[in-house]
Amino acid sequence: MADSVVSIQYLKDFVNSQIYDDEKWAFNVKLLRAAGLFAGSIVLMRNYGDLMAI
Amino acid sequence: MATTVPPPAAAAKVDYLNLPCPIPFEELHREAMMSLKPDLFEGMRFDFTKMLNQKFSLNHSVLMGPTEIPSQSTETIKIPTAHYEFGSTFIDHPRLLLWGRILTDGRLNARVKCDLSENLTFKANAQLTNEPHMSHGMINFDYKGNDYRTQFQLGNGALLGASYIQSVTQHLSLGGEVFWAGQHRKSGVGYAARYNTDKMVATGQVASTGMVLLSYVQKVSEKVSLASEFMCNYLSRDVTASFGYDYILRQCRLRGKIDSNGCVAAFLEERLNMGLNFILSAELDHRKKDYKFGFGLTVGE
Repeated sequence: MADSVVSIQYLKDFVNSQIYDDEKWAFNVKLLRAAGLFAGSIVLMRNYGDLMAI
Repeated sequence: MATTVPPPAAAAKVDYLNLPCPIPFEELHREAMMSLKPDLFEGMRFDFTKMLNQKFSLNHSVLMGPTEIPSQSTETIKIPTAHYEFGSTFIDHPRLLLWGRILTDGRLNARVKCDLSENLTFKANAQLTNEPHMSHGMINFDYKGNDYRTQFQLGNGALLGASYIQSVTQHLSLGGEVFWAGQHRKSGVGYAARYNTDKMVATGQVASTGMVLLSYVQKVSEKVSLASEFMCNYLSRDVTASFGYDYILRQCRLRGKIDSNGCVAAFLEERLNMGLNFILSAELDHRKKDYKFGFGLTVGE
């Protein structure tokens, strides 16, 4: 139980360091936008791709 | 009358000793590259190819338009330029290919591809310029096995590379590469995977240079493909994703894409007549406010 508390704190510190640092956040925004476009486009292609067929 | 239920079809047993030969390691992402990376240009382009006989052809190309030069500031700097390129191609199908192009500024590009045997291929390419230390050359030896391919590369500047790709199942192939650049004292290793079926192709590649490249292509029909790509280099903090379409019709080929950097592009090749193609290119970078439009004509095969 103590181990999982330590790891949660480690995760919180890691997430905070990624959000509150300007340079890292700028990169993370680009990464999230690109990953969202990639994943969303795959979902769209697999489910609605037939609508684009001629 | 009793209806007989047909027995369920037995799942096809996979013969792991008889797998298909995978595609070359360097062409892992070829479907995504063909759909998402057309030859976009800005200005006017004219290409003329003349077949002198079945094996030999000459090529004349003219390109007039602005050329971007790298600048320190965020603004793009363009200089109007005009190029004429003369080239020749010799194809002795399937064993030998010789290809050469020379530009008015003295740059020479040359390629050789020769099948030394049924499984062994020799390839060489060179880019020669007038500027000192800017010329490059590379030779490759490719060996094709039953269900694997391997390549060995040797380039100037003590560049050594090797790659290997193996079919693991009917649809999945895995590969890896290593390289060593003696001049820069750098080395790297990379791994790749490719999964393809009749309807889709998914590939992934990671390298120790910090690059991650994922792609997915959905073949919607014989004429239509949709493609998506994700490229991330966490050492240079560069991330790009793009999503595009590729329509291959009888009279034209239309490709378009949008990417996560706010750039929209389209490329149209329209067949006006036998051997006569009209091309239109557009690339709109809304973030940098850089808009490029091009038109051209291609004559000959």
